[in-house]
Amino acid sequence: MKKIITMVCVLAWFGLGGCAQDKPAVKLALVVPLTGDVAAMGQGMKRGMEIAVEEANAAKLFGDTPVEMVPFDDRADPKEAVSAANRIISDKRILGVIGHLNSGCSIPSSSIYAKRNLVMISPASTNPKLTLQGLKNVFRVCPTDDLQGYFAADYAAKVLKVSRIAVIHDKTAYGQGLAESFKKHAAEIKLTVVSYDGIDLGDKDFKALLTTIKTKSPQLIYFGGMYTEGGLLTKQAKELGLTVPHFSGEGIYSPEYIKIAGKASEGDYATMMGVALEKLPEAKAFVEKFKLKYPGVDMQSYDTYTYEATNLLLAAIFQAKQDPSQIVGKVAGMKYDGILGQTSFDANGDTLNKTICIYQVKDGKFKYLE
Amino acid sequence: MFIQQLINGLTLGSIYALFALGYTMVYGVLLMINFAHSEIFMLGAYCGLGMLCVLPMAASGPAMFAVFAAAMFGSGAVAMLVERVAYRPLRHAPRLSPLISAIGISIFLQNLIMLTVGAQSMPYPEKFPIRQFEFWGVTLSTLQIFIFFLAVILMLLLNLFLRKTKMGKAMQATAQNHLVSQLMGINVNTIIALTFFVGGGLGGAAGVLNGLYYGSIKYNMGFFPGIKAFTAAVLGGVGNIKGAMAGGFILGILEVFAAGYLSSEYKDVIAFVVLIVVLIIKPGGLFGEQVTEKI
Amino acid sequence: MKLPISKPYLMSGVLLLLLVWPFLWGGDNAYALYIACLIGIYTILCLGLNITIGYTGLLDLGFMAFYAIGAYTAAILSIHGVSFWLTLPVCVLVGGGVRYLLGLPVLKLRGDYLAIVTLAFGEIVRLVANNTVGLTNGPKGLPRVGEKISEIRLFGWSLNDTIHFYYLILAFVLLAVLVSHRLEHSRLGRAFVAIREDELAAELSGIHVARVKSVAFVISGMFGALAGAIYAHWIGFVSPEMFTFWESVFLVAMIVVGGMGNIGGVVLGVILLVGVPEILRSTLGAKFVDYRMLVFGVVMVAVIIFRPQGLIPSKRRSLELHTPEAE
Repeated sequence: MKKIITMVCVLAWFGLGGCAQDKPAVKLALVVPLTGDVAAMGQGMKRGMEIAVEEANAAKLFGDTPVEMVPFDDRADPKEAVSAANRIISDKRILGVIGHLNSGCSIPSSSIYAKRNLVMISPASTNPKLTLQGLKNVFRVCPTDDLQGYFAADYAAKVLKVSRIAVIHDKTAYGQGLAESFKKHAAEIKLTVVSYDGIDLGDKDFKALLTTIKTKSPQLIYFGGMYTEGGLLTKQAKELGLTVPHFSGEGIYSPEYIKIAGKASEGDYATMMGVALEKLPEAKAFVEKFKLKYPGVDMQSYDTYTYEATNLLLAAIFQAKQDPSQIVGKVAGMKYDGILGQTSFDANGDTLNKTICIYQVKDGKFKYLE
Repeated sequence: MFIQQLINGLTLGSIYALFALGYTMVYGVLLMINFAHSEIFMLGAYCGLGMLCVLPMAASGPAMFAVFAAAMFGSGAVAMLVERVAYRPLRHAPRLSPLISAIGISIFLQNLIMLTVGAQSMPYPEKFPIRQFEFWGVTLSTLQIFIFFLAVILMLLLNLFLRKTKMGKAMQATAQNHLVSQLMGINVNTIIALTFFVGGGLGGAAGVLNGLYYGSIKYNMGFFPGIKAFTAAVLGGVGNIKGAMAGGFILGILEVFAAGYLSSEYKDVIAFVVLIVVLIIKPGGLFGEQVTEKI
Repeated sequence: MKLPISKPYLMSGVLLLLLVWPFLWGGDNAYALYIACLIGIYTILCLGLNITIGYTGLLDLGFMAFYAIGAYTAAILSIHGVSFWLTLPVCVLVGGGVRYLLGLPVLKLRGDYLAIVTLAFGEIVRLVANNTVGLTNGPKGLPRVGEKISEIRLFGWSLNDTIHFYYLILAFVLLAVLVSHRLEHSRLGRAFVAIREDELAAELSGIHVARVKSVAFVISGMFGALAGAIYAHWIGFVSPEMFTFWESVFLVAMIVVGGMGNIGGVVLGVILLVGVPEILRSTLGAKFVDYRMLVFGVVMVAVIIFRPQGLIPSKRRSLELHTPEAE
């Protein structure tokens, strides 16, 4: 008993005391799912940030003080996200947070960062509610779901010329948000939404649901969610002879989607936020660097956004002369020219750069559509 | 739509039935819930995937055979190992001990796969061509036919094994009474290990079928199907092998109809409610196999 | 085991350490406090679960359901502006009530069936929370955007910092320990143990087995709901993903490793399984956290085989567990 108590005390001392003393650095936290279902995207975001940090250090942005990325794993789980947020605000030398991926994680965590007025820039959380909480420290470099859903409904009506659409979502803040804005605009432009269903994250069997949907003969299936479920949905739909294309947000814009769905993904559409990389000359340098640093690795949806968000945050910290109390104000006033075009924020912290582009799966790859 | 859902249900049911056999066989000989069986199912799917990836040859009968052989043998071996390490030392311990031990093994195996293979869903390659038939607005794929018939063949083989071979008969004797079987010259430990091997092998085959059917597998894929297969075993009367087969089909069809006609969001809830209701009202299962309570 | 100092002194020492704990870290290490609070919450949960598993011998694999019920009840009431001090008893009553209703049919079942049924119930609660969007906001969790879980007010000032919650949780942990301790040494507690050891013999000794089991079941459910209510107020966010089956198993693991039926053992189990991995996270790196469940699985099997009474066995239990059970 005594031994155990001593052991625990010693461990506690080591553990908690140990983390306080190390050399000076400009610390930035990255909180994304590094493990779990959508880890591929989180790992991609980490790569995007690594490139930005490497560039800043090569350019000696803060003189001899290096920039350091501190990665945290939220496993796309709100509970883990809150725990990570608490760890982040315990470290006084973290000057800003890049994250989270999922809106479901960003929303509860954002109020924890607000306690210390720590700036949080999300490269990927698109639920409109994130920035409507009245928190001054929250920003994002991606346009909201409202815009994507609206755009997708428009595209379905005008370009794809379909009129009967089945909508499915994964009930998360992201997926449902996307589906709701799609449904809302679809009603406005007189598209028929033949069905509107929620699925459970982690479920694998959608055949019963798809069989029901098939009887309503939709011409398009719109899905709000991530690639794991999205890939299975399109695969199983086609196995049931429901051979209409699937349309989704950037949550499925990942090579993993095509791997899971196989040939069934051919012809599916995905909207992506921002200017397409193919069209922007500034982005070329980033793509080259990425290929050089990570040969053979595919880019994921949010790599560029994370790169952009990190650069923007670093620029703000530079302008604020590393004074923690100034950083939020500097980010709010930022006009940043980067690989997504010009990014600046409105009063809520939403980006004013609201371009959306569209991709289609062709020959097992996402291809940009003009 | 009714026929389509019935086909979906039968396919799902064949997987549950194969899976449920492992629970029921182990319960028959040891009176314990082999909680780790859902991980055996998962390992089977991963073994099958491994074999699919290494096999250089294109789709062919022998390739398919190799995939299933690898999965069944791998799962069976692990199941046997688990019995040896985690259950045999507890054979005379209080009843709940092996269950807790099984849960420990379950956590261990899941995390082992998560850490060594990956935490993400892994796609099952479509190496074997799948054709679809359309009739009366119903789509039936060769894969569904394959799953159904493979499950039925494996179940018939098991039945044959239990009835005609010496080992099978010894297994049935052991299920009835350890002590008397031992007196009849049966090595009870060997028979129990064999039970785990056979049950595990069938679970592994179910895992591969599950992977082929849904096209993606994950380290925690065993949990929900595991509970459902256990429900199927309970439906048929735990320890009753034919009951488990019937229970699997009943549950598969029930689940698909619940999802199709009631609500796809509550299909798992429905399976769990069936489990609770059957255990409370008719713990002996639908087919009346008397589960004797041994105090 | 002989302790070098007498028990009251040890207890006061531990209490003193707990009281000054936040100041050992300069009073503002949010993470150290966060972990301490988490350990506190899990201690309340495990002490509750210990009443069914440890004392009465009923294996419950869905205990998180009651934590969830407490947390959701608290969140819903609190969003509508109900004070914490009113919410708390309501949560405890709701938790206990649901537990009672669940117990009516299922407590008749044999041990391993009971385990499976509680598991199913736990998953049902989680799935219902996930799907009754109108009440629980589905996977997005409570509170909805624009709503807020109201602050706890105590004698005119409000608790809003982790350090306030630390002392609040500490108070409830002490209460839980006290209740558990009194219960263990009461007539009822002895009845629990009698049922665990031999239901038939207990019945013949004049114990109303069905009623006593039900009491144990309900009390533990109340502990779970209490912990849930505090957690919801502390974190200010509740979502169904917090209450998965593996969380329930995690609780069972803590009790098994620490020592079933022993308060000190349970607390040690919580510290080992919740606290130590978090502490080691900063020394051994984040990679370690990935391996912790792997290690727990092995430890669980090893403990149940080699030391079924747990690291700190209860005095009664260590005498009893080794007798082989006749089939």
